[in-house]
Amino acid sequence: MSEDSSARHEFTSEAEEILETLSRDLMKLEAEGREVRPELINKLFREVHSLKGLAGMLELDEISELSHALEDMLDRLRMGKIEVTSQLTDVLYESLEGLNLLILAMRDSSLESGLDLAGLKLRIHQLSTATGGDSEADPIAEIELDEQTRRSLTEYEEHRLEENIRSGKQIASVEATFDFSDFDEKLRELTALLAEAGEVISTLPAMDSSGGSGISFRLLCGTSLGIAALVDLVGDKASVRSLRRGAETPQALEVSPVPESPVDEEVSLRSLSRTVRVDIARLDHVMNVVGELIIEKSRLESLSKLPEVRLNRPLLQELNKVIRNFDRKLAELQRSVIETRMVPVEQIYSKLSRTVRKVARELDKEIDLVLKGEDTELDKMMVEELTDPLMHLLRNALDHGIEPLEQRVALGKASKGTVSLDAYQKGSSVVIEVSDDGRGIDPERIRAVAIRRGVIGANDPVDSARAHELLFTPGFSTATSVSEISGRGVGLDVVRRNIEDLKGSIEVLSTIGRGTTFRITLPITLAIIQALLVRSAGETFAIPLITVTESLRIERREIATVEQREVLLLRDKTIPLLRLADAFNLADDDDSEDRRLYVVVSRVGDRVAGILVDELVRQQEIVIKSIGQRLKSTAGIAGATETGDREIVLVVDVASLIDHFGGRARDARRHRHSASA
Amino acid sequence: MKILLVEDSPSMRSFLTSLIEEDSVVTSIEIVEAASGFEALKTLPHHNFAAILTDINMPDINGLELVSFLKSHPVYRNIPVLVISTEGSEEDRKRAAALGAEGYLVKPFTAGELSASLQRLLQVVS
Repeated sequence: MSEDSSARHEFTSEAEEILETLSRDLMKLEAEGREVRPELINKLFREVHSLKGLAGMLELDEISELSHALEDMLDRLRMGKIEVTSQLTDVLYESLEGLNLLILAMRDSSLESGLDLAGLKLRIHQLSTATGGDSEADPIAEIELDEQTRRSLTEYEEHRLEENIRSGKQIASVEATFDFSDFDEKLRELTALLAEAGEVISTLPAMDSSGGSGISFRLLCGTSLGIAALVDLVGDKASVRSLRRGAETPQALEVSPVPESPVDEEVSLRSLSRTVRVDIARLDHVMNVVGELIIEKSRLESLSKLPEVRLNRPLLQELNKVIRNFDRKLAELQRSVIETRMVPVEQIYSKLSRTVRKVARELDKEIDLVLKGEDTELDKMMVEELTDPLMHLLRNALDHGIEPLEQRVALGKASKGTVSLDAYQKGSSVVIEVSDDGRGIDPERIRAVAIRRGVIGANDPVDSARAHELLFTPGFSTATSVSEISGRGVGLDVVRRNIEDLKGSIEVLSTIGRGTTFRITLPITLAIIQALLVRSAGETFAIPLITVTESLRIERREIATVEQREVLLLRDKTIPLLRLADAFNLADDDDSEDRRLYVVVSRVGDRVAGILVDELVRQQEIVIKSIGQRLKSTAGIAGATETGDREIVLVVDVASLIDHFGGRARDARRHRHSASA
Repeated sequence: MKILLVEDSPSMRSFLTSLIEEDSVVTSIEIVEAASGFEALKTLPHHNFAAILTDINMPDINGLELVSFLKSHPVYRNIPVLVISTEGSEEDRKRAAALGAEGYLVKPFTAGELSASLQRLLQVVS
């Protein structure tokens, strides 16, 4: 039958399209984790549903059976009878692959799909029959819904309506009339707007309610916003009405935005709107204002130190009281703003676990991914910025860390490798560790590669600390062959730079044969940081406190020189020193033996250095402002800040400072300066 | 005689069209295709349809909402509607009937079943 064969041909191309969309949506499903949107599940359902319908009509039995089983499972999922689990997503992936094979076999009859259809169907069936609570009460009785509208809801839409009612959402009827020529466009805009505020459950078309020649629509919408907020959102595009029995009347809200009884109004609105979405830029702005207030506070403090104020005791007391209160309230404000920006790292965990699964499959390695500390909170912006570096570290762990299966078995290790991601808070920092139980980092191997790549000389010794440092050197990659997985043109040097851009640090802990841990330490927020203000050669600088491990006072004679590097012996450790004045080319000629200096011992990841300064001023919260292009490329400077004494102070970038100037002896540096001058 | 076919899957649309047009019993039928409920709404004023066939599960507006609209419209209410759905949705069938749909057909169906349903549908008006 030619008609049949052309239908089949059309089917295969449409089926392939559907499968592509399905696999994209499935990835989204996995990424959304526990927060999966009902619309997404419904979309998956509809896609499988179309596929099943087509296959059924064309009597493609295997495709039809498999998609039917899947459809059943997704139907139960969208009806809330079963939940999204990792087994479920696994089976969905497997089924998509199965469907792909079956469709390929249709195109080319010489191919056998080799699919264990019965086994797959059985597993789908088992997952579908997990019991879920069917509730007895009819929540729809809680709202005013006319019979016509109720009948127009599909079973699924009815279920979504019930879910929205059960979870205490506001149920709104939104009515709009559009011109017939462009109603589809206008309605889509309205739907998109409402989707931001909640879920559009149903769209019912009707005759133009104003008696004109257009067309009206009534949308049923579940939302956490109050009716007033929804009215604000849609503006004059539509009229909004609550369907909850006994809810506030829309007329009162629309006509008089200033409510007659403010108390009642407030209560009813508060009960309805529990969350709002805010653009992060607005929070940035609030944070900037907080930063400016902090500066104002420092100005008040300077005022209280003026002699004329100090002599006037009543004024001084009053001023001090104001400062104390101001300080308390400001701290509270700052804490609240920071908390508002915080999101759990869980947001990226699901995305990362998807990648791990995919990479493990590509590498043909069996991996257990252990996720810990998913509720650890971090600044929203930082969480976003962390995705790429973490992805890179995880790929590395899978590709280079975990040994091939045979090797693991030969070593007596568990055949399944373990890769873990662990986040926890430590003081005002957040630590994220990416660990594997693989081969560990072998300094000899690193040394060999580094020599081959010309990163070090043939006779340079490499201990484990040096090996870890080499890993982060630009152009270094231990991959013996540039594999697809890790060979993406970026190395660990880029990872480290990303982390340091976030004012964080990364260090490596590794045991040969046992595994490797990359430990990332980050400040909880970038918006406001604690800094140590220091003075050097008459200038003030701010050193981020997160990098400071201790500070101590020494005399010039305590500085030793080892291999042309200035060092300090501190409790059996040799710490390379760097002079802030030298790093920034400031005149500083006092080199007498009994000169008193301060050493700020700073640590960024594995790198430690003592920063030599003349004076420690105080500890202070600062808001880092970015600086102009001219200074941006200057090594050792992260930005600028205002301290409240109307002074602009440069903020030291400790990581790049150590990289550029770490441990060079004073005389050698001086010599170079005069030579280049 | 024109029939409106509302169905979001293109290959299902062309398959159904070919089934109906090659049906020897119901002759001289012209199929107008709509890929969504929106398209159906836009197409309606431009033709004089003898019947409407619609799928239920579609984006934008679903088949039941389309039926609801048609059956409460002073002009379109007289066009007989055949709702096409898939097995296992008994509740949807009941709702389609309650909204006033004249026929209901469950996928998968044979060319003969479709033809018989169409004939029944067209008799409703005549």
